[in-house]
Amino acid sequence: MPSFEYKQFHDIAQTLKFLDEHAEGTKIIAGGTDLMVQWKAGKVNPKYVVDISEINELNYIEEKAGYVEIGGATKIESLRRSNIIKYYFDSLYESLRNFATWQVRNMATLGGNLCNASPAADLAPPLMVLNAIGTLKSFKNERTVDLNSFFVGPGKTVLNGNELLTSVRIPVTDRISYQKFIKLGNRGSHILSVVNIATNIILRDNTINKAAIALGAVAPTPIRARKTEEFLTNKKPSEGLIEGASELAVKEANPISDIRASKEYRTSMIKVLTKRALVGMIKN
Amino acid sequence: MMNSQELFSAEKYLVIGQDVQRVDALDKALGKPIYTADQPPAGTLYARVVKSNVSHGLIKQIKYDHAKSVEGFVDLITAADVPGINEIGYYVDDQPAICGREVKFKGEVLGLVVAKTEKAAEEARALVNAEIEELPAVFDIFDAFENKVLARIDKTTNTLKTVKVRLGDVEKGFKSAKVIVEGTYKTGYQDHVYLESDAALAIPMGDEITVITANQNPHHVQQKVARVLGIPMSKVKIITPIYGGSFGGKNDMGPILAAQVSIAAWKVGVPVLLEYTMEDAFTSHGKRDPSIIKFKTGAAENGLLTAVEAEIIFDSGGYANRSPYTIVRGALQAMGPYKVPNVKINGYAVYTNKVFEGGFRGFGNPQTQFATERQMDKLANKLNMDPVELRLANLLRKGDMTGTGQLLENEVGVGEALSKAAEKSGWYSKPHRWKLEDGKIGGLGVAVAWHGFGTSYLSREYADALVTISRDGSVNVYSGIVEMGQGSSTALAQIASETLGVPMEYIKVQVGSSEYPFTGATAGSRGASICGAAVYVASKKLKERIVKFVSDKYSINPTKIDIKDKKIITHNGLTFDWEKVIQESYSAGVEMSAKGYYVPPQGTYDFETGRGAPFLDYAYLALVVEVEVDTNTGITRVTNAWPALCAGKVINPSLVNGQLYGSIAMGLGYALMEELKIENGEIKNPNLTDYLIPTMSDMPKIEDPILVEDIYPYGAYGSKGIAEATVIPVAPAIANAISEATSMDVDEIPITQEKLYFALRR
Repeated sequence: MPSFEYKQFHDIAQTLKFLDEHAEGTKIIAGGTDLMVQWKAGKVNPKYVVDISEINELNYIEEKAGYVEIGGATKIESLRRSNIIKYYFDSLYESLRNFATWQVRNMATLGGNLCNASPAADLAPPLMVLNAIGTLKSFKNERTVDLNSFFVGPGKTVLNGNELLTSVRIPVTDRISYQKFIKLGNRGSHILSVVNIATNIILRDNTINKAAIALGAVAPTPIRARKTEEFLTNKKPSEGLIEGASELAVKEANPISDIRASKEYRTSMIKVLTKRALVGMIKN
Repeated sequence: MMNSQELFSAEKYLVIGQDVQRVDALDKALGKPIYTADQPPAGTLYARVVKSNVSHGLIKQIKYDHAKSVEGFVDLITAADVPGINEIGYYVDDQPAICGREVKFKGEVLGLVVAKTEKAAEEARALVNAEIEELPAVFDIFDAFENKVLARIDKTTNTLKTVKVRLGDVEKGFKSAKVIVEGTYKTGYQDHVYLESDAALAIPMGDEITVITANQNPHHVQQKVARVLGIPMSKVKIITPIYGGSFGGKNDMGPILAAQVSIAAWKVGVPVLLEYTMEDAFTSHGKRDPSIIKFKTGAAENGLLTAVEAEIIFDSGGYANRSPYTIVRGALQAMGPYKVPNVKINGYAVYTNKVFEGGFRGFGNPQTQFATERQMDKLANKLNMDPVELRLANLLRKGDMTGTGQLLENEVGVGEALSKAAEKSGWYSKPHRWKLEDGKIGGLGVAVAWHGFGTSYLSREYADALVTISRDGSVNVYSGIVEMGQGSSTALAQIASETLGVPMEYIKVQVGSSEYPFTGATAGSRGASICGAAVYVASKKLKERIVKFVSDKYSINPTKIDIKDKKIITHNGLTFDWEKVIQESYSAGVEMSAKGYYVPPQGTYDFETGRGAPFLDYAYLALVVEVEVDTNTGITRVTNAWPALCAGKVINPSLVNGQLYGSIAMGLGYALMEELKIENGEIKNPNLTDYLIPTMSDMPKIEDPILVEDIYPYGAYGSKGIAEATVIPVAPAIANAISEATSMDVDEIPITQEKLYFALRR
């Protein structure tokens, strides 16, 4: 296990200054539930590790006009316990409820789950269907990015080495929206997703007004199933429609075989999960 | 020898059979126990293993120039540093403590890096380069059985042990059968996944050494350490700390780690702490042997079994270790707890170039009885009989003969257990298969199991304990038994408390040291029952001395004196205070400590004829489970379990429940998700991210067990060992329930959700 230099800052400004000077070879640590595992396995070899877990300005959940804003280093367990999240975002709440173990939730953070950019990250699909926006700050600049275009590949995002994901804003959804999150893993809980799915559907007069579907662990990044969404839009929910949508979702994905599941099993499960995530619309 | 009747003669028990709180409960709840790696003495060096990355080969040289340059590096310990005999094999001498020549599997220990810090040891071991000349390797169990490639160049065949069972004439038996079912079964690896990973601390002092490590037999560890160091056993002291679980695994790993760390500490002359990381544990410690079992069962029209024939192969990996015993146990009980007049069973253990097997709860029986119980369900199906009725018609009763030709002279509760479990589960009143919404199907499954406890036919069965009463009346119980979480210290305290007539808080049980009486391994489910008998014998001697003292002093007939709740009570109403009587006994020169050497009858097995009475008695289980199979995903949820068990007189119901719950979790993992993924001898999932054990959310609702107390006359207070029997029926009951639900044979475990999903579509 190679060594690294550990830095801890208590405000964003200091962190960004350091990152500006040491963009190369620096890793951010918040909860460390991914980073420490990767480091022990020799998959990352940072020169500096910057701890942001004690920065208060990165740890908050606030309801604002039209959106909810969450600090980048907010713990998963804080989100799970938040009544704001539970009230507005069914799919995100369901994802938080099934997120890893209690111990991991106490350490892991929203920003960490996103910036680690695992194709199986459980928070990505619900945040994508909710059209959440990330704020990326660097020493000199600030920009926002739609989480739907945040992920680039396994472990890769649009985040530059000198940038920090300081917050995520989630537009408050219409309470009539139909949201689902389903996770399928190889055991009942405490498990990495083999396939996960999040939906956010707006129904008006029993017609699908807007549809958003995101899938995880079935491509190099979490993906939106845009063609499936389009297929559903302006149609009335029916079993036939959902069957068609589930078949289309399969075509939009490109899963691989790995130690957790084969490509074939993942492909089959995309269909099953898509159906299960949509079937409730008919009853609604 | 003890009069067996004495061991369970009381009419009414005070402590035995009660839900007494574990003696270690509070400390463990408060996080007080100190584990092996927690507090090494100042100046301790740290060791990490260097492992082979080749499955089979000859070591040419081990280079460590780069490792030397790591700051804090102290030494590399190799086979050349072993001062005594480099041998740690259990059944046969075929396994070095540190491999020096022929590497037999990927992950085998080739050396130990010793360094000033854990970090340096970890860093340095990555820089050790072992040059190994590769040899052809064999991974497939059949290829190994057919000797297509020899797993070891020092052997002429891969088969390391054969065992047979012969009773009656199977050909005749099959001829007289109305129906015959045949099947081939496969069971997978299983890792113990004990909470505390393997660790050992060796402290050399002059020409002596003390080793602190988790193990299941401190005297065995003592012997192994003495042998590798080439010193007398009297110079070796083994201390077993409180430790985090074993399930049979540390019966192997205790001596192995102790030997390895001792070699290192002996060389460097200061304390050394050796720890296996979780990955090391997965790659390099023993596992449950995978098996392939061909099984043929015949029955008459009324369901009575006419013949059983089986061929069993266990994959032992690169070393024999416990396989010669696990294959024997598995084969000897493969016909199940049934009356079978004609039996022909052949068992084989074979070497392959994979991680070696190890002792593991159930010891061969979870493999073979998976096949047995699947066969019984197939037979019921073919006979159009109810699976419970078929089993009830064949289950052993007192006076019956087992499949090895053993007459069962003691009580046999398994029939009653199965009837009651079936009744409680609603077996007779509800469907065994039902449809649920969204492609889910429910199913009921049943299995029974038996497990011969104690070491019995293998080695002389005996137990030893020392009980001492101090001058203040408090009591110490000393024994070589090991407390590994199973609760034996609590059970032994209950036995001493009951026998002496003093409350539990007066008893302090001290176990696990090589300085305490040698009582054999805490294995074979023998700790509380058989070693408890030794505590009983010693406690009884002391009680008799105290009674005699009071009898002499007050001229009271000793049969009219008893001790209860720390009062010495006479029939005519006199009571004497325990503390006072103990002080007076000391003053009068009465010896207040006693040994309790206990030798029950011995089991026998004739390996030539394939017959015998290998175990003195058996513990039995009956289990009904309910599953829900999601045919759209392949996910199986075990929703309910109705257990019934025959453990003789139950000493502590909570401890029995603990064994039962743990076994259901372990058996559920074995059946559904614990899959060691090995490619070309390499374990691809040496971690808990991808080697999955069940969590709370996977557990079924477990009904309170039905206890059928079929008394065992040679166990303490009539108790039997139950810790292993409980795991055996779980996987077959689940497989039977899935088969019932899906109308598809589940003959291979683990049946993971992906496997089941595609099997349902073939």
